[in-house]
Amino acid sequence: MNYMPGTASLIEDIDKKHLVLLRDGRTLIGYLRSIDQFANLVLHQTVERIHVGKKYGDIPRGIFVVRGENVVLLGEIDLEKESDTQLLQVSIEEILEEQRVEQQSKQEAERVKVLALKERGLSIPRADTLDEY
Amino acid sequence: MLRCQSLEDGDGFPDLEEDEEIDQFNDDTFGAGAIDDDWREEHDRLAEMEEKVPSSHLLAGSTSPISDLLGDQQEELEHSLSQLVKEIEEPSLPHGSRTPLSSGMNLSIWDSSSDLRPIRGPYMTEDMSPMSILQEYGLAPIPPPNRDHAERDASERALPRRSTSPIIGSPPVRAVPIGTPPKHVGPIFSQQQVLCPNPIHIRAASSPFNNHPSNPATLLRHPFPSALSPLQRAQLIGGAQAAAGQMSSSQFACSGGLHGPVMAGVAPKPLQGHVGSMVAPGGGGFRPFFGVPSAAAPGAHLKNIRPQQLPFRPDTTHLHPQHRRLLHQRQQNRNQHRGVNGSGGNRSSRSSLTEAHRRDPYAGLMLQREKEWVCRIQLLQLQSTDPYHDDFYYQNYFEKLEKLSSSQDRPSEGPKKERTKLITPQVAKLEHTYKPVQFEGSLGKLTVSSVNNPRKMIDAVATHRSDEEDTREKQVRDKRRQTLVVIEKAFSLLLELEDFDRRFSLCCDDEERDALTEERRQKLQQLSDILRVKEGSERAAEEQMVQIMCIRKGKRLVARIFPFFPLQQCTTLISTAAHSLPFLIKKDVQDQILPCLATPCSQVVGQLSGLAVTALLQSLSGSGVTSPQQQLTAVLQNKFGLTLLCQILERSEELMTSEYSTALNQSLWTPLVAQVAHCLLQIPANSLPQPLCSPVTALLHFSRYLDEQALCQLRSKFRSASSL
Repeated sequence: MNYMPGTASLIEDIDKKHLVLLRDGRTLIGYLRSIDQFANLVLHQTVERIHVGKKYGDIPRGIFVVRGENVVLLGEIDLEKESDTQLLQVSIEEILEEQRVEQQSKQEAERVKVLALKERGLSIPRADTLDEY
Repeated sequence: MLRCQSLEDGDGFPDLEEDEEIDQFNDDTFGAGAIDDDWREEHDRLAEMEEKVPSSHLLAGSTSPISDLLGDQQEELEHSLSQLVKEIEEPSLPHGSRTPLSSGMNLSIWDSSSDLRPIRGPYMTEDMSPMSILQEYGLAPIPPPNRDHAERDASERALPRRSTSPIIGSPPVRAVPIGTPPKHVGPIFSQQQVLCPNPIHIRAASSPFNNHPSNPATLLRHPFPSALSPLQRAQLIGGAQAAAGQMSSSQFACSGGLHGPVMAGVAPKPLQGHVGSMVAPGGGGFRPFFGVPSAAAPGAHLKNIRPQQLPFRPDTTHLHPQHRRLLHQRQQNRNQHRGVNGSGGNRSSRSSLTEAHRRDPYAGLMLQREKEWVCRIQLLQLQSTDPYHDDFYYQNYFEKLEKLSSSQDRPSEGPKKERTKLITPQVAKLEHTYKPVQFEGSLGKLTVSSVNNPRKMIDAVATHRSDEEDTREKQVRDKRRQTLVVIEKAFSLLLELEDFDRRFSLCCDDEERDALTEERRQKLQQLSDILRVKEGSERAAEEQMVQIMCIRKGKRLVARIFPFFPLQQCTTLISTAAHSLPFLIKKDVQDQILPCLATPCSQVVGQLSGLAVTALLQSLSGSGVTSPQQQLTAVLQNKFGLTLLCQILERSEELMTSEYSTALNQSLWTPLVAQVAHCLLQIPANSLPQPLCSPVTALLHFSRYLDEQALCQLRSKFRSASSL
């Protein structure tokens, strides 16, 4: 197979179902409708999928215009294999609650870690502060 | 006919066959070319000019009688109409808007043909040049000329059927870089025109006016003059095609009407696999089809045809030969595949696609034009005139692949693995020689900076230093290096010499000791040779010694050498050092290592004769170059210098008090001591360093020559110095 340079290779993926991982960690799933040379994307019938453990939930988002720099990962979804997943779909409320719990526990773990390091006279920059200039 | 089959979809084929049969039948009945044109179109057109043109002209089959029948009236009408069209069209032409195209589509055939007429002349002068350029670029296969001629000759008499055009199946691949204005607009365009099957319809439609210079037959061969701008041509073609679309109810139905929408839907597919297809239309001035968003646009079928039949251009400069080979192979495979499957495979894929489209009503948000634009803008970055220079790794990678595959292919002729390959624009090498624009009557030239002609920001010129300066610096550098080498050599010898004492104490055999002594003597000889101590008085040797003592390691070397050298050589060394002491002091400012010489010096000075002591004090107090006062001031303010002076005075005191009191030549010695004492008195107490040896003896010696007051001053000075 030959491929086009840069985002031109995405042309053939247009109007197919795609999963997009954004820089802030969000996962979007939708139909790729339009692209340009910066990999700016237009997603249609987008859902934001949240995975927590073996569960996942979809939040409908509609049309999503993604600025290219925020795209970490982009891949077509095999519609045939999409259904036979081991993950369990749950309601939005449930997944949000799960996510909240997970984040809380993560934060707690982080806090403990920072505290432990502080006692030893060390300090690490928090990962989330690195991203905000 | 065959070409048509492969170009157009298989669906069109039966229709064509049918049409063909009907045409044949009609020809037999009415004469060749009589029914080629669309009757309905004909009717419409004629209805327009019902008042002016006699109905007898409807008989289009006979050409020459019509021209006779058409009187001056007809000529005038045509002329005025063509003028009118030109007036309407021309002002809007250069602006590149697409509106003229659409207006062109509304033009009737008759209008477009009359518009073409006046421009036929100039084109004829260029005649075959397009062909030669096509050959030069190794473009699409050109049909055998004699066949073409036969075709044309026939067309003069009887109009050929559309499907028999031999050139339809050869779409162009152009060597025009993307993004840059086309350089060979004329030829490219004409080729496009040749490709276009529609002009035949024009011809058929305008056949009643065959008498006119714009004979449709010639129109086919040289559709438009090169003098026209690309856009103008595009418009003309657009108009012609629109006209064709209008009139083709029977023959053209298959491509224009029926399959248009379907093909437009398929259009993204060919885009994926075919590079050239996207590159080719981008570069040229022939872009009317992309301006027609409607799927039923007359150009739709052409758009579809081109990529599929794209012949691989052998002379693409940008691709590596191996890459080219792979692409070629791939293309051949595809062709074979098509040959085997016929149009069936094609159709099935299309149907699945259309099915997908039916499922997804929102598909196709991005137009074909936009997709092409994205592709082009990405390919634009890879455009290069010197790929080996610009894209070294790609070229080398494929070279490596070539080698690898050639070594692997030999033993087993199995199926090759297809590797993914980057698609790069196929760009012909163009020489960019920039000529600044100059306007008539302007004073200067207007420079426009571009990628190929960047603006010169600075005029930097590499400057070379003069040879003289260079060699001088080199000499200094070399001298220093040489000195360092000498020091290293001397040091290694010195270490060996120092080692001899240990070895000497270890061995007890007399013979061995003798051998060692001999060896030691040789080493010492080597050392003094290296340092050129023997030649002592000579200027070069002195110079070298000073150089050595300028370097920290050299000073340490000299300090360690003293015990090994005989008195004579040591005296020479010390006097050399004393002589150039001000210089050495200056060089020693950073190192402060000179005082390490004090101890070995004291040993040497303690053995000196009266004469030697006098000579040493003389050299210490300066040569003729600098005034004694100056030199002494510098020397005495240095720790080592003052220490050396004390040592000398000590030795002289020792000599005086000994039985050899006459050893010192008083007439020489007295003024020297007086001078030194005077100098010492001049130096302020706080800048006088503390000597490394006790100054008591020296002061005692001074007491012989100085009065009480001066001696007191000296004492207090030394005291304050030692108390510091």
